[in-house]
Amino acid sequence: MSALRKWDINLLQTEKKTLFSFLFLYAFLISLIAIFVGMLYYNFEKDLMLQKKRIELQKYANDLIKRLKYLHYNFDKDQTYPRDKRFKSAIYDSDEVCIFSLLDSKKIDLNKIIYKKENKIIYIKLPEAYYLGAMYVVVEIEDDEAWLKKVYGNLIFYGSFFLALVLTIGYFLLNLFLKPMKDTIYLLDRFIKDTTHELNTPVSTILANIETIRKDDLDKKLFNKIRRIEVAAKTISNLYQDLTYLILHNKIISKEENVNISKLLNERVEYFKIIAFSKRVVFKTDIKENVYLFIDRKRFSRLIDNLLSNAIKYNKIGGEIIITLRDKYLSIKDTGIGIESEKIKEMFERYKRFDKSVGGFGIGLSIVSMIAKEYDLDIEIKSKVNEGTEVIVSWKK
Amino acid sequence: MEKIALFLLLSISLFAKNLDKNATNIYERNCVPCHKKFPISLEKLFFRYLLKYSSEKSVKQALIDYLKDPNYYTTVITESNLIDKYGLKQKTKLTDKELKEAIDIYWEKYKVIGKLK
Repeated sequence: MSALRKWDINLLQTEKKTLFSFLFLYAFLISLIAIFVGMLYYNFEKDLMLQKKRIELQKYANDLIKRLKYLHYNFDKDQTYPRDKRFKSAIYDSDEVCIFSLLDSKKIDLNKIIYKKENKIIYIKLPEAYYLGAMYVVVEIEDDEAWLKKVYGNLIFYGSFFLALVLTIGYFLLNLFLKPMKDTIYLLDRFIKDTTHELNTPVSTILANIETIRKDDLDKKLFNKIRRIEVAAKTISNLYQDLTYLILHNKIISKEENVNISKLLNERVEYFKIIAFSKRVVFKTDIKENVYLFIDRKRFSRLIDNLLSNAIKYNKIGGEIIITLRDKYLSIKDTGIGIESEKIKEMFERYKRFDKSVGGFGIGLSIVSMIAKEYDLDIEIKSKVNEGTEVIVSWKK
Repeated sequence: MEKIALFLLLSISLFAKNLDKNATNIYERNCVPCHKKFPISLEKLFFRYLLKYSSEKSVKQALIDYLKDPNYYTTVITESNLIDKYGLKQKTKLTDKELKEAIDIYWEKYKVIGKLK
């Protein structure tokens, strides 16, 4: 039972997709909020800086107006526009026509009082009288952007802190949301694990005892009964093997070796013959001898078992299973119900079952896919509805 | 000596008369002569208009309005003694076109734009 406690709860592919979708959406929304807050903070700091600069610029503008006033009344004697080292300036009339300008900025928004444009701070003052016709007195200074460095520093520091905080909250929220789902999966897994574990001993006992029965001594009626028990026991045993693989495949140490898969395939066909016979399904084999593959024997056996089991399960009564083995591929073809081509991709999803009239958990092809991925085997499925399905497993030698 | 003084006076008055006769444009013919008698120069008056109306368009419109209908409310002469002494200007006898032409010349003569260094 100690192994039971170590079994992992793995999130399925679709659940992972949902998880990533949620994370993406969450991160996107959080980023939007962060950008919005960041912009608010930036604008707030900019306004604060402009308010501070406004006092200084107001003083400059007043100085300039005083000099413009003097020039206005003495224009016949002096026509030199006042200049100041501390700032650059310009004057505009009431029709926003530039009277004179020393500014670096080309276009001035005269409807504003103070604003920042590129690296300049521009202040506009309306003098009490239009000296030299000037309705707008514009003063411009350089912005050293020290405040901006502080803002960026704060944005990076507090932004990172905020992001880390919301991601942590997001992680806890996600766990909270996923808890019911995880619990359900955990319960299901535990149920399957417990059931399979408890099934192993009696099924093995049944199969072992059937082996010991001398079939020749039995009358036909009893022989048929015993065969049906054997079929049922083998089906359960097969299911047990699948579930064990699914639950423990990470924990089982694989033992790769050169496996004579011709021999293994013949053994598995023989094993499944009795199950196939119950459905009057016949095996037609074209197995090349001594085909070897470097693989874990038990895992490849799982792969074959599942393909054979499916070929029987989804076959018609009295159908055929054509098995072909060559150096680089194995083909298992049935004459069963087939499947629509658009559903083929979904076949490898765990718990996916297209025909619920037949038994099973829908884990067979999922196991096949896992093993194929592990050993770099290619799987191709060809299927036609009501004609049958062919599964081709190929490998590079 | 008296003869010389009389000669000079005559010369000056003749020169002045010639100046008036040589006046090339409507502004100089119709505005300058009268304003010469007025203590506030046309230039100073221009800057009073500029101080009050700011832009070219506004100044010109204000001049047209005032010259067509001179009154105490819109005059830029704030010195009451001057108004008492000289009275308000007579309404202009110039046509609209002539008035506009005269004002344009006046604006060009004293405008600030383009003169600041």
